[in-house]
Amino acid sequence: MNPLLASFVPESRDLLQTATAGLLRLERDAHDGAQVKELINEVFRAVHTIKGSSGLFDAAALTRLVHGAEDLLGEVRAGRLGLTSDMVDRLLDALDQVGVWVDALEQHECLPDDAEAAGSGLVAGLRALLPARDGGAGGPAAAGGGARADWLSWLTEAERLAVSRRLGDGAAVVAIRYTPDEGCFYRGEDPLHLLRQLPELLVLHIAPRTPWPPAGEFDPYRCNLVFHALAAVPHDVAAHLFRYVADQAEIVPLAPDALLEPDVADDAPAVLLPCLLAEQRRILALPAEDAEEMRRRIAVVAGALGNLLHGADLPVSQAEFDAAVSHALDTGRAAPLLALLDHLERPAVAAAPEAATRPATRVLKVDQERVDRLMNLIGELVVSKNALPFLARRAEQVHGSREMSREIKDQYAVIDRLAQEMQGAIMQVRMIPVSEVFARFPRLVRDLARKLDKPIALVIAGEDTAADKTIIESLGDPLLHIVRNAIDHGIEPGPQRAAAGKPGGATLRLSARQEGDQVVIEVEDDGRGIDPVRMRRSAVDKGLLDAGQAGRLSDQDAVNLIFRAGFSTAAAISDLSGRGVGMDVVRTTIDRLGGTIGVASVVGRGTSVRLSLPLSMAITRVMTVEAGGTQFGIPMELIAETVRLDPRRVRTIKHAQTFVLRDEVVPLRRLADLLGMATPPPDADAHHAVLVVRVGGAVIGLVVDRFREGMDVILKPMDGVLAGLRGYAGTALLGDGSVLLVLDLKELL
Amino acid sequence: MNRKRILVVDDALTVRLYCRDVLERAGFEVEEAGNGIEGLERALGGGFDLLLVDINMPRMDGYEMVRHLREAPALHGVPVVAISTEAADADVVRAYRAGANVYLVKPVRPAQLARTAQLLTGIPVS
Repeated sequence: MNPLLASFVPESRDLLQTATAGLLRLERDAHDGAQVKELINEVFRAVHTIKGSSGLFDAAALTRLVHGAEDLLGEVRAGRLGLTSDMVDRLLDALDQVGVWVDALEQHECLPDDAEAAGSGLVAGLRALLPARDGGAGGPAAAGGGARADWLSWLTEAERLAVSRRLGDGAAVVAIRYTPDEGCFYRGEDPLHLLRQLPELLVLHIAPRTPWPPAGEFDPYRCNLVFHALAAVPHDVAAHLFRYVADQAEIVPLAPDALLEPDVADDAPAVLLPCLLAEQRRILALPAEDAEEMRRRIAVVAGALGNLLHGADLPVSQAEFDAAVSHALDTGRAAPLLALLDHLERPAVAAAPEAATRPATRVLKVDQERVDRLMNLIGELVVSKNALPFLARRAEQVHGSREMSREIKDQYAVIDRLAQEMQGAIMQVRMIPVSEVFARFPRLVRDLARKLDKPIALVIAGEDTAADKTIIESLGDPLLHIVRNAIDHGIEPGPQRAAAGKPGGATLRLSARQEGDQVVIEVEDDGRGIDPVRMRRSAVDKGLLDAGQAGRLSDQDAVNLIFRAGFSTAAAISDLSGRGVGMDVVRTTIDRLGGTIGVASVVGRGTSVRLSLPLSMAITRVMTVEAGGTQFGIPMELIAETVRLDPRRVRTIKHAQTFVLRDEVVPLRRLADLLGMATPPPDADAHHAVLVVRVGGAVIGLVVDRFREGMDVILKPMDGVLAGLRGYAGTALLGDGSVLLVLDLKELL
Repeated sequence: MNRKRILVVDDALTVRLYCRDVLERAGFEVEEAGNGIEGLERALGGGFDLLLVDINMPRMDGYEMVRHLREAPALHGVPVVAISTEAADADVVRAYRAGANVYLVKPVRPAQLARTAQLLTGIPVS
C-alpha cells in the first residue's frame, strides 16, 4: 500500500474515534462552558486533520464530506450555532460513512463507486444545518468557520483575482454548485439559462458529472452536467433564483477570506517552512567566485533565516544563530550555517506530516503480525530452553559428567530468567486497554436508547484497565450481547419505571478493573431485574426442566438459567437482542477465553453481569499428571489442590464414588475412565492420587496414576481432523520434543 | 504594531494588483514599482521588510535588479522573493546567485504567497 495511505488509515480511525467520542460526550454530559469549548475544539481538530490528510489521496467525496462536517463544527465552535441532537446525528452519520470509506481505502486504495452519491446526500444534510449567511456584509469569518467551497481551488488566477476584488469591494459573493436533475430537459428546464440569470456571474465552470460514455451509448437527453459558479449576488437573491431546484443547487456564501485561505492553508506552514529552509541551504551550497561573494550570500541567507527563526519559532536560540552567522562571516565559509540548517531541517521535515496532529508521545505503531511472530518465537524459545534440564540429566547419567551437568544447569538458569523476562515484555506489548471495546458502547447505547425511547445514562469506569489483545478483542461480541440484553430486557420503558417510583432515566454502568491476574468486567443496570419465579416457570414451559426440578432450584440457580441453551424470557424476540444468540453463547465464548461469567439480580432493582477473564492467555500454566500410562496436562487455573487419599475414605453413594474433603462431599472420578482408557483396576491398598478441580462451580476429585511437575506451555489448538475431538483443549510441545495433550475438563466432566 | 512593508516589483499591472490584494489582506503594507530601475531606486531608499521581484521585466530584469540591490550592504539582510514563469533549474540558480532567497514559479497561489511573505518577514505563524 502507498505508505502515505498506510499511515492515513490508522490515523484517521483514531481521529474518527476521538471525534465520535467527543460528540457523544458533548451531547451527554458537557455542561460547563470551558469543557464544551474544549470538546468542540477536540472534535473540530480531529475532523480538520482528517480533511487535511485526505486531500493527499484520490478521495474527493471523503474530503467533501469531512469538509461539510468541519464547516458545521466551525460554526458551532465560533458560537454561531448551538449543538443539537439532530446535528450530532448527522455528524455521527457522516463520521460513520467516513469510517466505511477508510475501510474501503485500506482494502482497495480507492473509494467505492457509489461514494459520490452516498456522500452528497450527507453533505447536503450537513449544509442544511448551516445558517444562511450574507457573505459580504459580515465581519471577518473565524478561521475554518466561513463557508469555503472546496472546488475554489480550481479557479484560474484571473478568476481568482476577479472574485477577490469583488469581495474586497465588500460585495456579497456566493458559490453555487448546481447539479441539475438528469431528466431536467424533459421538464423544459434550461440549467444554463438559469445560471445566466444571475446578475453578476463572475465564474462559470461546466463539467460532466460522470465521465462521458462512448459515443454509442451517449444519451443527449440525459443531463450529465454539473455547474460551478461564482456570482456577486447576495445569498437570498441567488436562493430565490434557484428556488425551484433548491434540492439540486448548493449555494454557499463566500467568506471574505475564502480565496485567501484555500483548503490546505492551515497546513501550509508545515509544508512551506521546510521548503524555505531547503532553499536557503541550496543558496549556501552554490559555488562562489570568491570569499567576498560567499560572505554576501551568507548575509543574504542570514537575513531570511533570522526572520524565519523569529516567526516560525524554530528550535534554535537567537544566541546560537548569531554565533553561527558571525562565525560564517568571519571565516567566509557557509559550514556553520549549514550545520544549523541540518539541525533545523531534520525535525521539521520528519515531523511535517504528523506534527500538527500528534502530541509528542513516543508511540510506535507495529503491525500485529510482527508482534505475533515475535511472540511465537519467544514461545518456541521457552519450550526449547526446557530441553536443557534433560540435557543436564543426560550429561550426568549417560556421560557421567556431574560437572558438565552443573554447568548446563547454571546456563539454564540464566536463559530461563531471560526467557521469562522476554515473555513478560512481549505480554506487555500485547496488552491493550479495555477502552478499545468500551469505546463502541456510548454510541450503541445512545442509538438503542433513542430507538426504544428509553433514556439511558451510560457510565463507564476503569477503561484504562489493560489485558491481552486476544482477550480484549474477543470481549466485543459477548459484551455487546449483554449490553443489548440489559437495554432491551432489563431496563423498563419510561412509564413502567415511573410506576415503580424509579427515576425516568435509567443508568447502565460498564466497568472494568484488575483483580489479581484477572480482569473483571461488570455490566450493571437498574432495570427490572431477573425474576426467579418467572425463570422457573419459563424453564418448565420450554421443557428444559420438569416442575419438580424447577421447584428445587435456588433463586440464584433459577437466575442462572439464562445461561441454558435455548432460553429466552422475552415474550417477543425483539430485533435488538434476539438474534438467535443467547446468553449460552456468551458463556461459551467466555469459557473458551478461560474466564467465568456470573449474574446477580434483585427483582425490581437491577441486574449485574460479571465477567472475569485472565489478563493473558498466551502462556498457559499446566500441571502434568499421568493416567493410564500417558502424560496429560491440566490447566492450573482449574486445580484447587492435590490430595493423597486413603482408599478407605472413599464412600460409595448410589453407584457414585465420593470422599469427604473438609466437610464437603466431593464426587470422585477416574481420569482414565473419563478418557475411555482400559486400565487395570487400581491397587486396593495404595493411596489414590486425587486432583481436586473446580469446574463450572462444581468441585470434583480426579483420580490419576501420578502427579508430575507443573510447567508453562504455549497451548496450540488442535487442528485438522483432531479439531473435532472433544475433551482436549490443545497440545503443547515439551522440551524433550514430545507432545503433551492438554485436557479440557469442562468438556470431559 | 507596525505593519511590515513589502515592495512588489513587476511590470504587469494585474500581477501587482493581485499581489497587493493578497498581501494587504494578509496584513501587509504594499508598495509597487513597475520596472527594475524604479524597483531598485525604491528599494535603495530603504524601509522594506521584503521584496517581491519579477524576473522578466523590461529595461532592467529581476536578476540584474537583485544583483545591484545586494551590492548595498544595508540591503543584504532584506529577504528577496523572485517570481518567474520559468521553472528551469538554471533560472533558479541564476536568481539565487544574484541574491534571491526564494524562487517562486507563477502562478503563485494566494495562500502560498501570503504564507511565504509572513514566514520571511518573521511574522509569528499561528
